Amino acid sequence: MSAAAGLDLQSIPDRIQSEVQRAIQRSIKGVEYISSSGPALGSTPKDILHVRGTMNLYHYRPMSDEIYRVPILIVMATTNRGYILDMVPGQSFIEFLLKRGYDVYMLDWAAPRPEEKSLRMEDYVLDFIPDCIRRVQQDSGEIDVSVIGYCFGGVLSLLYGSIFADGPMKNLICFTTPIDFREMKLFQNFSDRRYFDVDRLIDSVGNVPPEMILSSFEMLRPAARAMSQVQLWENIWNDEYVKSYRMFDRWATDTLPLAGEYFRAITKDLMWDNKLYNDVMSVGGRPADISKIKVPILHAVAEHDHIVPYDAAKPLIQKIGSTDKEEVMLKGGHVSLVAGANAIKRLWPKLDLWLGERST
Amino acid sequence: MADNSNDPVAIWQNMLGEMEKGFNSFASRAMETPEFSKVVNQVGGATAGAQKQLGDLMEKYLVGMNLPSRAQMVSMAERLQSIEGQLNEIKALLYQVHQNSSAPKGEAAVAPKPPRTKRPPPPGGEQK
Repeated sequence: MSAAAGLDLQSIPDRIQSEVQRAIQRSIKGVEYISSSGPALGSTPKDILHVRGTMNLYHYRPMSDEIYRVPILIVMATTNRGYILDMVPGQSFIEFLLKRGYDVYMLDWAAPRPEEKSLRMEDYVLDFIPDCIRRVQQDSGEIDVSVIGYCFGGVLSLLYGSIFADGPMKNLICFTTPIDFREMKLFQNFSDRRYFDVDRLIDSVGNVPPEMILSSFEMLRPAARAMSQVQLWENIWNDEYVKSYRMFDRWATDTLPLAGEYFRAITKDLMWDNKLYNDVMSVGGRPADISKIKVPILHAVAEHDHIVPYDAAKPLIQKIGSTDKEEVMLKGGHVSLVAGANAIKRLWPKLDLWLGERST
Repeated sequence: MADNSNDPVAIWQNMLGEMEKGFNSFASRAMETPEFSKVVNQVGGATAGAQKQLGDLMEKYLVGMNLPSRAQMVSMAERLQSIEGQLNEIKALLYQVHQNSSAPKGEAAVAPKPPRTKRPPPPGGEQK
């Protein structure tokens, strides 16, 4: 049957009218888009508990009359800003947790200063995270703390949990956390030790510039940026689409530089030698073997994650020492797993169900 | 579900989606080759080296002209940011002190924290 035979001729005038209206709306909204800024992000009320260089510790103000005993510390990925978890009211993971009765703290990162190029992996794992845990304990008056790590924040949380296996971490939740770095195929090729001279790079630039981090993410899907612009133009008449586009686009391009020595350690220990997967990782001379972690763990992975492919994340649950452990694979990508309509429907309720009964 | 097989807009969008997937897949295959890594890292390494040399040269020039360099300006901006952060902390503390001093005697000095007594809802139960 030809396409013309199935064509509904009566619908054509309506379709044309609708397209003309959208074209007019595109012109009007296009001007609005250029002349206005996006929605305010990360606006859930919070107090700054502590700031030290690149490290920021926030406490979000409770939104519930009664809260769970165990507070949560969220450890953000060092490449990106924490407001991905606190977009706008109604689409904020933080707000969701507060309304469900959790006491929420976040370890978020500011761009490391030039003089912080010497920060090493041990500064993050043996100093920043333990310091934040101590401050959460002091502020909340509780010994136990649940930790949520997103992406590389999950790796840092695993390293912390394996070195401080005797506590005080009570529960661990990892979102899209890589452990077998051989399986991050494109990143592996970008950092091929035969051609990538990490020492020369760090010695030249100090901190790794955010443009380089952003380019390496964008190279994983080189057509995505151009296509998103086309889609934006097509949908610019749709206020909800534009709002969502602006939120995610702003976050995605708001990439942080990485401290030089820290990047050197990531490249050599994780990308080249895959030490975490091979159980030979150490931080500041202290062995970091994730089989030592015995606390309940939930690992949420995304079905279509192009940054941390499933094969890179899969061994986490196999290798961890906990008996109470669960991996949940949800529809979505690396970012839509944790933020946006997909997350509201899938990840957030699952996490609430899992964590609530372990937070008393 | 509506049949979009004859909708030119849907066909166009579908075609764009397929093009994106095709291009991404093609580019990924190319980027997985050692040749790609070699070329990118040679170019990247040379660029980083050249940038460093140029930066050093510019630094010397600006010192000679008695002008601040970009690094010094960035450092100043960061110091200002840090001062702003500390001012915010001081403001928060002052606000807390003010709240405490204006609270009637006998009442809790700071806003009371909610009790840590929440229990998870029973299976199948509604969240409060």
